[in-house]
Amino acid sequence: MKRRSLALRLIALFYVGVLVGAPLVLVFQRAFSPGFDSVWHSLTASDTASAIRLTLVVAAITLPLNVIFGVGASLLIVRHPSKFTRLLDTLIDVPLAISPIIIGLALELAYASNGVFGRALAHLGWQIIFSWPGIVLASAAVSLPLVSREMVPLLREIGDSQEQTAATLGAKPTRIFFTITLRSVAWAAAYGATLTLARIIGEYGAVLIVSGNITNKTQTLTLDIASNFENFATKQGFAGAALLAMISIGVLIVLSLAKQRERKNYEYHD
Amino acid sequence: MSITIEKVSKSFGRDEVLRSLSLDVPSGSFTALLGPSGSGKSTLLRLIGGLTKVDAGRIWLNGVDVTDVPVRERQIGFCFQNYAPFRHLTVEKNIAYGLKVQRRGRREIASKVEELLALVQLSDFATRYPHQLSGGQAQRMALARALAIEPRVLLLDEPFAALDAQVRGEVRTWVRNLQHDLGITTILVTHDQQEAMEVADKLVLLNKGAIEQVGAPSQMYDEPATDFVRSFLGPLTTFDGVSIRPHELELVPESASSGQVVTITDVVRLGFEVRVVVDDGTGGSTWIQLTHDEALLGNYAPGQRVRLRIRRESHA
Repeated sequence: MKRRSLALRLIALFYVGVLVGAPLVLVFQRAFSPGFDSVWHSLTASDTASAIRLTLVVAAITLPLNVIFGVGASLLIVRHPSKFTRLLDTLIDVPLAISPIIIGLALELAYASNGVFGRALAHLGWQIIFSWPGIVLASAAVSLPLVSREMVPLLREIGDSQEQTAATLGAKPTRIFFTITLRSVAWAAAYGATLTLARIIGEYGAVLIVSGNITNKTQTLTLDIASNFENFATKQGFAGAALLAMISIGVLIVLSLAKQRERKNYEYHD
Repeated sequence: MSITIEKVSKSFGRDEVLRSLSLDVPSGSFTALLGPSGSGKSTLLRLIGGLTKVDAGRIWLNGVDVTDVPVRERQIGFCFQNYAPFRHLTVEKNIAYGLKVQRRGRREIASKVEELLALVQLSDFATRYPHQLSGGQAQRMALARALAIEPRVLLLDEPFAALDAQVRGEVRTWVRNLQHDLGITTILVTHDQQEAMEVADKLVLLNKGAIEQVGAPSQMYDEPATDFVRSFLGPLTTFDGVSIRPHELELVPESASSGQVVTITDVVRLGFEVRVVVDDGTGGSTWIQLTHDEALLGNYAPGQRVRLRIRRESHA
């Protein structure tokens, strides 16, 4: 029995190691082999620095939008079910099912300066595609379901008896929302938000289409890494890749802490 | 605080849950709303609490019409079956919630919470979180939280259903004594007739959205108004084609002068209570409820032939 579990562990470790562990270690090794000065130099090169800035700006805009949308949509789906919310529930899942490339293409069709909505917006002087608003739209679209996927099951599980109890204790709806509803789903929302952040900063396909991939202008970090490799600037490419990997691993750590905390809080008494 | 319910009706979609129901709950009483699932008892409790709106009819608290008063202004203590603890707050903060809503002073809240913690025997658990409590402790916390706002009425929805059988008995006694000491008008919903008879001084038996009978537990047990009440309040068995309570029957030796000769098919020993199942030869089975001592005296065993008759002291 013990020997078998040891064998299973080794197989699992080997599989994960071959797929993720070893290649990732190699990325770090390759990125840092020329020394820290060189990495710093690569990351502060104008194209990479501009890409990091754009990625952060896009994340800073998209993340709050999708968290607010996700929290609102989850509450609507669970607490006020209707034909509309069933449709909403299905539509939110679409980005999980279809390729980001298709999302990018669809956004371009709609919002390019000769597109269905894009033409009207262009008249107002707003350029969406090949500009940062398009990148925000693409990032928001691909990460749309991540907050509500975490929150909906939790909201279903905990029901609304806490809110009703608060009402019997004299609390008004806004107070109940902020002191009970939001607090009781905070960790699930935080978990969804970190997933969303990871998705936004790591997105490649949809952003590639809508951004036009213009160096120093509309390249996010993922696009910059790819174009550096295409242009044989591998040192700079690996530095960017190592940075992105570090951010993602950081997010992963936050994520697992949030998950632990959530489990602790919602595991029910004996 | 008395409660008067007048011709209250409630439907969910096409499902008529309460049909023009009227009820008076005297001040200070401990009333049990008893009935099978789907009888409308929980809905009635929620209507009194204001958590659900009535379709028709009026509800009065102490002579004041509260039908259209929102739940937060009704000053009702409501405990859910799952206790609905605020999981992100400690025990003391759970209890303090209603007091904070009322904007009481910090010192007043602290002393009141301390008092309530002592009342529900949770003083040592003040800084714990709900997930660190046992079921019984979580329930006492929910009670303290409800009592904090000095409610006019205490409404308890299946308060003992989620507890272990062993704890349940203790908690029942405790709740009953607490209600007695505080004198607060209390309504409890349960599907368990034994529980209702044990804690309440008044039973309201509901069936299919209407009241079958209202009365003191012993009165309803002894003088059931309908067959439904009779069958709901205690076990029944059939003897001689009529339904009868199994403790109203007795077994006597085959040599006795009266009684029907039957064969024992099973003897189930449950501690104080012993159930003897007999076959009267026509294929119908009857069971008799005996005390441990009676069963010991008769030394009953399957296969034994005895006589079955109605107990003489029984009025059935």
